[in-house]
Amino acid sequence: MKNKRWFPIVYMFVVTACFSAVIIGFAQVTEQRVKANEAIAFEVAVLKVLPGLYEPSAVTVELHQRFVEQVQQPSVDSAGAYTLERNGQIAAYALPFSGQGFWAEIKGIIGIKADKKTITNMIIYGQRETPGLGAEVAQSKFCDQFIDLTMTASEKPVVFRRPGEPLNPGEVHAVTGATQTSIRLEKIINDALNQWQSKMK
Amino acid sequence: MKAQTKQLINDGLWTNNPIYIQVLGICSTLAVTNLVLNTVVMCTALVFTLSLSSLTVSLLRMFTPRNIRMMVETLIIAFYVIIVDVLLKAYWPQMSDNLGPYVGLIITNCIVMGRCEAYGNSNPPGVALIDGFFNAIGYSFVLLIIATFREILGMGTFLGYAVPYFSSEYWDKWIIMVMPPGAFFMLAIVIWVFRSIKMSKEEKSK
Repeated sequence: MKNKRWFPIVYMFVVTACFSAVIIGFAQVTEQRVKANEAIAFEVAVLKVLPGLYEPSAVTVELHQRFVEQVQQPSVDSAGAYTLERNGQIAAYALPFSGQGFWAEIKGIIGIKADKKTITNMIIYGQRETPGLGAEVAQSKFCDQFIDLTMTASEKPVVFRRPGEPLNPGEVHAVTGATQTSIRLEKIINDALNQWQSKMK
Repeated sequence: MKAQTKQLINDGLWTNNPIYIQVLGICSTLAVTNLVLNTVVMCTALVFTLSLSSLTVSLLRMFTPRNIRMMVETLIIAFYVIIVDVLLKAYWPQMSDNLGPYVGLIITNCIVMGRCEAYGNSNPPGVALIDGFFNAIGYSFVLLIIATFREILGMGTFLGYAVPYFSSEYWDKWIIMVMPPGAFFMLAIVIWVFRSIKMSKEEKSK
């Protein structure tokens, strides 16, 4: 039978069907968990950029509860940003952004104070950049530069400078050895901020 | 232990090591070795994929037509790699993010296809599993040596923890070690050192 002309086609078909079936089953079993991981990563990122909401010691359930109770969903008034209210006033915005990085999509959240000029924090919660190089944009060493950063009034609200260069207000250091990721991330962030600012005017 | 098993272990780890003798799987060697933790996970994924791929190829070898064997081998390898990828996404999403595209690229790792084709395809399942496992271990120990030097010299850390002196102000971090050229330098040094040791042992035994 192995020498029949049709055998390789049928064999390949059967083997592919069997392995695919196992993978589909496996993916279905883990689907809820993967989605939950993605959702919690997003919620934690929002909590981290909104002042006073994130606690490192809090467990996942607590963080989810906090997100549901204290973070307002995006509206037309907030131009697509999540908001945190204190005493009936907006205290801060959490603006999601995403765009093509060097390898794949980079997803993040940028927090902005009620003055719409000062960044509270920036968190990257989804990226597939080069480990140890471009992936460093998700590390606190890079993201912490955005804490209390005042945006510039130019078309680039945030400017990335080469590592080691002196910084002016509104500027941060790019990641060493990750020029392409840094260039793309700078554009993604500035596009999102420009779009948000124009809608908020 | 049977002589054949001993020989397989010795080949995979030393005499026919996939990295410094066969010079296979270099892409991932260069790519993921800038952090030890990433390397550990990558190596674990490769041990799982290579062992089970070799076993599965061996189990199916009697039925697989020769003219489509490489397609079947690729399918089997992709199957195990996707399992690893899904597991990481579900149970260790941070590591899945850290490794980025490299888990998926195990499919194209020459060691996996090389061992499936050279050994799994023509030997019984038991020895194919052992051959796959020890070749993956041989790959892993070399990668871990490279990653250890790169992370300590380039970042001053080991597994993310600060290493005394190398994380202090007295050590000017060798950034080049965590960049692609650093991987080439380290790989060349490791190949040179291990081949020299091997040659010197062979000369002594003559």
